[in-house]
Formats: sequence, structure tokens, C-alpha cells
Amino acid sequence: MIEVAGLRVVLPPAVVAVDGIDLAIQSGEFVVILGRSGSGKTTFLRALNRLVEPTAGRVRVAGRAVTGAGPAELRAARRQIGVIFQQFNLVRRASVLDNVLAGRLGYVAPVPSLAGRFPAADRTLARECLGRVGLAHLAERRADTLSGGEQQRVAIARALAQAPSVILADEPTASLDPALTTEIMGILRSINVERGLTLVVSQHQLETALAYATRIVGLRRGRVSFDGPPAAVTPAVVDAIYGGEEGNPPRVPLDRGERQ
Amino acid sequence: MRRAAIFVSLVVLAWVAWDTGADPWRLARGLPWIADFLRRMLPPDPSVLPAALKGALLTVEIALLGTAVAAVLALPLGFLSARNVAPAPIFYPARTVLNLFRSVDTLVYALIFVAAVGLGPFPGVLAVIAYTTTSLAKLYSEAIEGIEPGPVDAITATGATRLQILRFGVLPQVLPLFLSYILYRLETNIRAATILGFVGAGGIGFYLQTYLRMIDYPAASTVLLVTIAMVMVVDAASSRLRARLV
Repeated sequence: MIEVAGLRVVLPPAVVAVDGIDLAIQSGEFVVILGRSGSGKTTFLRALNRLVEPTAGRVRVAGRAVTGAGPAELRAARRQIGVIFQQFNLVRRASVLDNVLAGRLGYVAPVPSLAGRFPAADRTLARECLGRVGLAHLAERRADTLSGGEQQRVAIARALAQAPSVILADEPTASLDPALTTEIMGILRSINVERGLTLVVSQHQLETALAYATRIVGLRRGRVSFDGPPAAVTPAVVDAIYGGEEGNPPRVPLDRGERQ
Repeated sequence: MRRAAIFVSLVVLAWVAWDTGADPWRLARGLPWIADFLRRMLPPDPSVLPAALKGALLTVEIALLGTAVAAVLALPLGFLSARNVAPAPIFYPARTVLNLFRSVDTLVYALIFVAAVGLGPFPGVLAVIAYTTTSLAKLYSEAIEGIEPGPVDAITATGATRLQILRFGVLPQVLPLFLSYILYRLETNIRAATILGFVGAGGIGFYLQTYLRMIDYPAASTVLLVTIAMVMVVDAASSRLRARLV
């Protein structure tokens, strides 16, 4: 489903964020990417749909080339990759429904969409996706009037509206409290189980990662430092992922760090 | 370093004061004449009120039409001169053109357009458009450069086209700011448009200049009072609207 070969990303001015990753992810896997801040998790995920441009290497998702694709091919590849962000990234002033409808932009005719017109079928689908995350009743509300947990659910609905084959989630719960973390990860798991969607989720919380993943990939300084099932994550593995030159390895989930 | 800066500033100011013939005593000697001028303006002549109101309405119309057209024309220019949206080969020329046109004031444009299309409110409208388009485009582009990148990433990730990204990721973020800038420009254009009549480009300034030239000070003071009232009413209405936007 996702094939990554020799992926390398150098961010300006000269930061090697991803330093040669090879990874093959099968359809239906729930992969959690673990690693401390700055290990390259975010850059890796953003390179998978070229929100950042890879410096070298090859990425294919659901049978389509992402790297080397022309503008139209890239858009076609992107629309099958739903993305969920740490900061939700909703358009604040737009309604909840309009935010979810944005997930259809890769499918609808561009010109009418610029006038804000979407086919009835897409509107229905958007409402269904909102219902899937339990927010159908908030469709007309302005996005920025919702709580953080609700906003992230809207973002999940937007990703679902893309009818994706893959969902990438970059620290989807880092801005939320523990109860909401369980809720959001639960929704992601049910999507994974019910629809067979492939999920790649970055997390800095070890416990959460172990509870939901079918496969753990540890990143350290832009390289894969561990790849295996949650059951194989031993203290030595944790040390390999987190341990390091900068201070103590966070034996237990490093949890408060990136929260607001 | 700081001392040197202060010293240089003082020298420059002194020289400028000398060169412009700035002289407080001369102003003091002139004060009685200003008092005399004000006395001769009173009481205002109510018989010219209809003419003054007509002029005021025309001034508002000039500012309104000019601002409205400029607000639309500035849209593409604003996007093309925003660093985070336009590619560099477009951005730099667009910025340069904006700065070039913005350095000329509405009044100067009015002189040019009066020469081109003749007297009346129309050259006034054109002058307002010419200045406001570029100044709004500059404000637009700064608003665009200040947007949050997150929603733009999210829209990009859906497989949207460039135009769709602008429409759904950028525009909703900047639209309230744009409207606020347009209203602000409307306020300043009303003030600019009062002067346009002085160079033959229509509106209330024409009456003010005419009565002053005829040494009909009571009539001129009526026009002046109407101008003040007009500006205050528009400012109040516009700032109330703007407060709602942000």
C-alpha cells in the first residue's frame, strides 16, 4: 500500500530530517511511528504526499507514484491519502460542513467548486462522514466554535470524505487531553478495522502507540531504529528509539512535552 | 553613536526650518488675520446648503465607485504580489509595479485624468481607482503573507488544485481583513475626494474652491461644515462596520 525506498529529506538550510528510510506498509496495517521530537516523524509523514519535497528516494502510495508525479498525477495521488494534523488545521471561519466538503476538492469539477458549489452526492457523503465521527448535529456551526476534540473529529471526517486508501496522522492527539486521546485513537482504530483503511500515525506517547498499533516503527535521527509488532517492544527497544545523547531516555511515555 | 545621531538630527531640523522659512513670530503676527478670516466666515450662508449637499453626495459617490472598482481590481494583484503564493518571477515584478504606482498620490492622478478625459466627477473616479487599486493590493498581499499555513496544508493534502487551495485555504482566512481594508480605504478616499474638486475632478471640493475664489466666505464655511459632517458620518459608519468584521 505504501512503498518507501531510500527516502531522504533535507530541510533548508541543511537539516537532514529524514536520512534514508526504506519501508513497505501493507494494506490494512495500523502503523504507529514512534520517536522523540526532532526524530523526523513529521517530515517523514509530510514527504509521503509531498507536503515537503523529498530530496531523494521514491514513494508510492496505493499503486501511484508520489515522487516524480506531475501536478495532475500528484493531485490524484494526494486525494487518496487523507491527512490528520496535530493542530487540526481546519479553516476556522468556515462551517464544519464546508470543512468536511473540502475533502471532496480532489474529485469535484474545479470551476463550480470555486463558486462554492458542490454536487448533492458530495454533500451527502460529507454529512455521512460527519455522522461517522458523531458530529452531524454540528454541521452548520463555525469550525472555531468547536472544542479541540471536536475539531479533530471534523478533521477526521474531512479525511474520510476523500474516500482515501490511506490515512496519515501526525501526532493527532498531542494537543488533546488523555480522555480525548482515547476517543480520537478509538475512532482511528475503528476506521482501520471497519473499512480496512491503512493508517500511519505518529505518536510520542509509548503507551498509546502500544495500545493501538499493529506495527511499530521507531525513528531516530531520521532513520528507522526499530520495526516490528508492539509485542516485540522491549525496554531495550524503547532505549533504541528514545535513548540518546540528549538527556535521559523517557522510559515511560514522554507525555506532557508537546501538549498545550 | 546615539549622541552623534541626535546631533545630526538637530542640525538637519535646524537647516530644514531655516530653508522653509519657518518663523514662529511670523505666525504670531498672522494670527489676527486668521481670526479676521474666521470672523468673515460667520455666520455660514444657508442658501448654498443644497449645492453643498449635492457636492457632498457626489464626493461620496466618487469615493464609493472608485473604491469598489479598486477593491476588485486589487484582488489578482494582491495574490500575485504575495510572497507565499506567487512564484518569485511574478512576485518581484508585481511588487515593484505596486510600489511604483503607490508612490503617486490620488491628487496627481486626478490632474492626469482631468487632462485626459476632461472635467467632472469621472476623472475623480479614475484617480481614486488608480491609487486605491495599488494601495489595496499591497494591503491584500500583506494579509495573504500573514495567513496560517496549517489550513493551506490541509487543503493541499486533499488533492486540490492551486486555485482551489487559494479559494478554500487562503481566501477564508483573509476575507475579513480584506473587507476591513476596503472600508478603511473608503474612509480615506472620501477625504481625498474632497480635494479632487480643486483640480476640476468633481465633488464638494469644487464648491469650496469656487466660493473661496469668489471671496464668499460665508458660503465657503457652509461647504466646510458639510464636508466635516460628511467625513464624520462616513467614518463612524465605516468603523462600526469594521468593528464587526474582526
